[in-house]
Amino acid sequence: MWKYEKRLQYPINIKKKDLRMAKAILTQYGGANGELAAALRYLDQRYTMPDDRGKALLTDIGTEELSHVEMISTMVYQLTKDASVAELKAAGLDDYYSEHGKDLYPVNASGVPFTVTYFAAVGDPIANLSENMAAEQKARAVYENLIDLATDEDVIGPLLWLRQREIVHFNRFKELYDYYNEKYNSKIEPRNNI
Amino acid sequence: MNNYNYLTNNYPPQPSDPIHFTPLPQINLMPNKNMQLFTPKEALDRGNLFANLYDPYKNYQPVALTGKNEKEKLYLDFIRMAFAAHELNLYLDNFPNDQSMIQLFNDYRQKSDTLKNQYEQKYGPIDISSNALNTTPFAWVDQKWPWEGGI
Repeated sequence: MWKYEKRLQYPINIKKKDLRMAKAILTQYGGANGELAAALRYLDQRYTMPDDRGKALLTDIGTEELSHVEMISTMVYQLTKDASVAELKAAGLDDYYSEHGKDLYPVNASGVPFTVTYFAAVGDPIANLSENMAAEQKARAVYENLIDLATDEDVIGPLLWLRQREIVHFNRFKELYDYYNEKYNSKIEPRNNI
Repeated sequence: MNNYNYLTNNYPPQPSDPIHFTPLPQINLMPNKNMQLFTPKEALDRGNLFANLYDPYKNYQPVALTGKNEKEKLYLDFIRMAFAAHELNLYLDNFPNDQSMIQLFNDYRQKSDTLKNQYEQKYGPIDISSNALNTTPFAWVDQKWPWEGGI
């Protein structure tokens, strides 16, 4: 089970509205490489990890990703909360507003709703961990695109921070991947005559 | 001719299959002994406790977080320790036999717990098992929510 802490993992205090930036950042909630997909990916994969290390790492990183969902949601909320309907319209958020108002709803930067086909859990630890390593790299690249687009220090700070988490997570998954590869694959004889 | 690129996976059967289940072989990878750690303050500013993994983007510098008042300073002290402990938690998931890191984890964890209690006594609960929940009205609903800004 989970216990909520009434705090963010890293402080976010955006004072200036920026609807175009909100629309871009929303993709790290509802997009293919976003935090929601990451959280579900790791938490779904953890049940069949072959040992307790894998179960622990996927549970702990999956849990951290839930707190990143909250950080991304906070950024979108703070960037949009003072906007008028006319401003939302001008920023191309009228479609979003008509269905969701100013609620959070997982869509990508183009407005496409989140789908679980964004991530895989295939029941094979090596394949799953490879997927996770790629996912962390893709999320890092998206954060870099977002940092390139951002102009407000209050927005850039948390984006830099979240980008750095992708790097740490990638390395943790790689350590586990290397460990499993040695543990389970090194003793297998290469197949002959193929 | 041998094809070394073609390896079949050989994961052990899962515990749900009692007939075939065998204990896993013990292999322990050695942690990287050249590991350099940031201080908890440097680590929270960067989003990374591990200096050997730190990878800045272009010329962007991390924000040096500072508190404007006693409340914010105490809060930052708490989340710095909590973050450092969390980083070591992820590390220890992969390297559960690294005794010196277990010691450091517990040091940061205890400091984080102490600072959290201090903060909650003065400024209100952070989680629902806080000792600061015995007032009327119920303090849990009476505080700012994390997305509402501020440190």
